[in-house]
Amino acid sequence: MNARWHEQIQRCMTGDATPEEIIALQQALKDDAQLRALYLDYLNLDAGLMAAAESMTIAGSETGRTAAATRPAARQPSHHWRWIAAAAACAALVALALLPAHRDASSASTDSSPRASSRVQPDFTATFASTQGAIAQLSIKPASPLPAWMSPTAALLDQPGLSQ
Amino acid sequence: MSSLHNQHHDQFLRLFAEHEPALRAFTRLLLPAREDVAGVMQEVAVTLWQKFGEYDAARDFRKWGFGIVRFKVLAHVRDQARDRHVFDDELVNRLADDAMAMDQQHEAQREALDQCLQKLPEAQRQMVLAAYTKGTRMDELAAGRGQTAMSLYKMLQRIRQALLECVRRTISQEELT
Repeated sequence: MNARWHEQIQRCMTGDATPEEIIALQQALKDDAQLRALYLDYLNLDAGLMAAAESMTIAGSETGRTAAATRPAARQPSHHWRWIAAAAACAALVALALLPAHRDASSASTDSSPRASSRVQPDFTATFASTQGAIAQLSIKPASPLPAWMSPTAALLDQPGLSQ
Repeated sequence: MSSLHNQHHDQFLRLFAEHEPALRAFTRLLLPAREDVAGVMQEVAVTLWQKFGEYDAARDFRKWGFGIVRFKVLAHVRDQARDRHVFDDELVNRLADDAMAMDQQHEAQREALDQCLQKLPEAQRQMVLAAYTKGTRMDELAAGRGQTAMSLYKMLQRIRQALLECVRRTISQEELT
């Protein structure tokens, strides 16, 4: 594959391509299946690097994400991040198990409401928020800050004792 | 009713937690701009939950999710097209078709990336991961290393190309054994 395309694709994926370069790449991608495969491989690599950096940030969160990423003895990505992600997923599921019970207790008086389906969105928002905090710190952000009780896993992660 | 609802909730979270990395990667494949991924993924997550009642458990959740990602990316691209040049619907659809066909291969490549990162010299590994850490400013990273931003960009390009060749080679070797 022409070395020029390696550079063009990378410029596009880092947001540095000019409009003219994007138009040229778009046309070339439409015409050439091999180039599309290369393009997708590059973006897949980008996705993998984003995940690896994020996992490393989580692993080194006790000293701050930038410091963790730049200090000489920064944690190596290896396979640790997978274990961390798995542990975080388990924590999120525990949080899930706790959430409905808490909600049911706090809203028992409204359980018989015919508008029970209206609870679907808050359930999702709260649980997803805790999942976010735990599973690889998803960059999806809830629309507004949630009370600590709605996000037990996130609250746990925020405890000062754990951040030392 | 409440128990059934909780089960539904539980099932969704298990599936979402399992497939979120693949859905996020698929979103990245369809969006040239890295900074657009988080916003679209948020839309995807909300829509997956809202439509989870229609989800047939016999179907592959990941493929179902890919369909929603495609729909959300197309909506995003149409919206963005007013302000900047982005890929058109035809190319996004073509990329989505190819990306779905290459899903297993791409997952294997992301797995192989761990090994390839380990093969990089320590300084290069630190640099590339620092460049991908949220909030990192490239000009500051370059200055901290005593480099110009341009030389840092060039170095990152070479490292990415080397990593891509490494993951492709690793997959080929694994297929042979």
